[in-house]
Amino acid sequence: MSTLGHIPVCVEPIGSVLDAQGMVGGGMAAILTELAVLLERLVQHGEPGAIDVRSLPLSPTERMRLIETLGAGEVDIRIQANGESHIRETSIPGVWWSEHRDSDGVLLVTLIEVARVPEMVAAADADLVRGAERLRAVLAPLCAAHGGTTHGTT
Amino acid sequence: MGRPDLEPTIGELLDRHGVSRRSFFKYCTAMASLLALPPLAARALASQLRSAQRPSVIYLSFQECTGCLESFTRSFAPTIENLIFNVISLDYDDTLMAAAGAQAEQAREQAMRSHYGKYLLVVDGAVPTGDGGVYHCAAGRTGLDILTECAKGAAAVVCVGTCASFGGLPFADPNPTGARAISTLVPDKPVVNVSGCPPIPEVIAGTLLQYVSSGRVPDLDAHLRPTVFYGNSIHDRCYRRPFYDQGKFAKTFDDEGARSGWCLYELGCKGPTTYNACATLKWNNAVSFPIQSGHPCLGCAEPDFWDRGSFYSPIPSPRWGKAGEVSPAQAGDIAAGAAVAGAAIGLGSVMLARQRIKRYQRQPPQQSEPRNEE
Repeated sequence: MSTLGHIPVCVEPIGSVLDAQGMVGGGMAAILTELAVLLERLVQHGEPGAIDVRSLPLSPTERMRLIETLGAGEVDIRIQANGESHIRETSIPGVWWSEHRDSDGVLLVTLIEVARVPEMVAAADADLVRGAERLRAVLAPLCAAHGGTTHGTT
Repeated sequence: MGRPDLEPTIGELLDRHGVSRRSFFKYCTAMASLLALPPLAARALASQLRSAQRPSVIYLSFQECTGCLESFTRSFAPTIENLIFNVISLDYDDTLMAAAGAQAEQAREQAMRSHYGKYLLVVDGAVPTGDGGVYHCAAGRTGLDILTECAKGAAAVVCVGTCASFGGLPFADPNPTGARAISTLVPDKPVVNVSGCPPIPEVIAGTLLQYVSSGRVPDLDAHLRPTVFYGNSIHDRCYRRPFYDQGKFAKTFDDEGARSGWCLYELGCKGPTTYNACATLKWNNAVSFPIQSGHPCLGCAEPDFWDRGSFYSPIPSPRWGKAGEVSPAQAGDIAAGAAVAGAAIGLGSVMLARQRIKRYQRQPPQQSEPRNEE
């Protein structure tokens, strides 16, 4: 008896069809132009920016070419926060390719961020305060044992 | 510190459950993308959500196939469990809740009493009004009676699916049960239609999230649908659009044009007259959507889609219009539903939707909408 695995299937990416008809290129040029503007704004005014890749009508081929064009830089960050976030610096300093996944590995959002460091990497102010509290809590018994005191405000 | 006199905010609940700020920020980044907000709006969204309280949600089902709820429970972002536990308080849904019978009805009444004037009423399915409403009864009461009672204390009503939004299949000719859209039965509350058969799960979840984060009904089109999801036609956002512009059409489902991925307009695609997010959000976590799978759009997010002739006949070009433009007959029905929206929440959006309807009525299309019998 035949199973699904016995049925021959040929998958041809839509991108290849578009390629064959000369329809690739416009979207990528538009994104690179916007990135150039955002990078200039970052340099001159310190304002970060981002482009949401999902909202762009890119063919798979265009998307692949965009990733190739941006290339890879020196920094590669993986964050484990209810699923993995993978943030890579591209070959253009200040331009980051960020992919955020949920705990099942499902891709939630892909951004091209223009920033010195993407916001998600930095610790939040409230977390810093809690971190300091936790450290003091850890230090308190140690200091008590040695007859000292902990520093910092409460 | 928590505030003993008030229910906890979403932020307080997240802290209580040990959800890190990075996790929540990532969630809000995904939500900003879903809501077509600028990517950097995630920070503002996170701040708004953290300080908001979870609204009580009562979910009612009437003449429907449960496809909308099936769709809702398959939302990838936010996941249904995340939405239920962190963003909303789903206090009544007779399909999902463990309680049944009298206990379930008591849970609904308790939620209505505790959150009177504040809870969100989510409805899927049309409501039969023929023969005294006997075609839908639950707990010894008609659907119309239950809807009327629940809508009375609601802050707003969200209609999930084309049946609740426009009547859908139960409303289709000859409509033997006298089915009606919710907006025509709840004239005094803000109504949001999340149409589709079923709606895209992320659109349902995103609409609820938008309400929670902003505390008001989102901007609506003339069909009372959130413009953020229903602002563009399928045709305008379709990746096959370049073929339409070049005049390249599939003529049959197995010809060279179909195999080359050309435009499906001549096979009856309703993309030009259908406003929904299928072409951008897609389905099953953005894997595909009907046109990408080689089938024309059926136009399921539009009123009377079942009665608009064959799914496989090309639509005549005079019917093409801009987002939210409707036929005078449809506009009348919708205006009846939106006309006396008086609650504070969403009044602005409803008023804007009404203005669009009036503008349309002053400039009706040259050709009226054909129906099956024509």
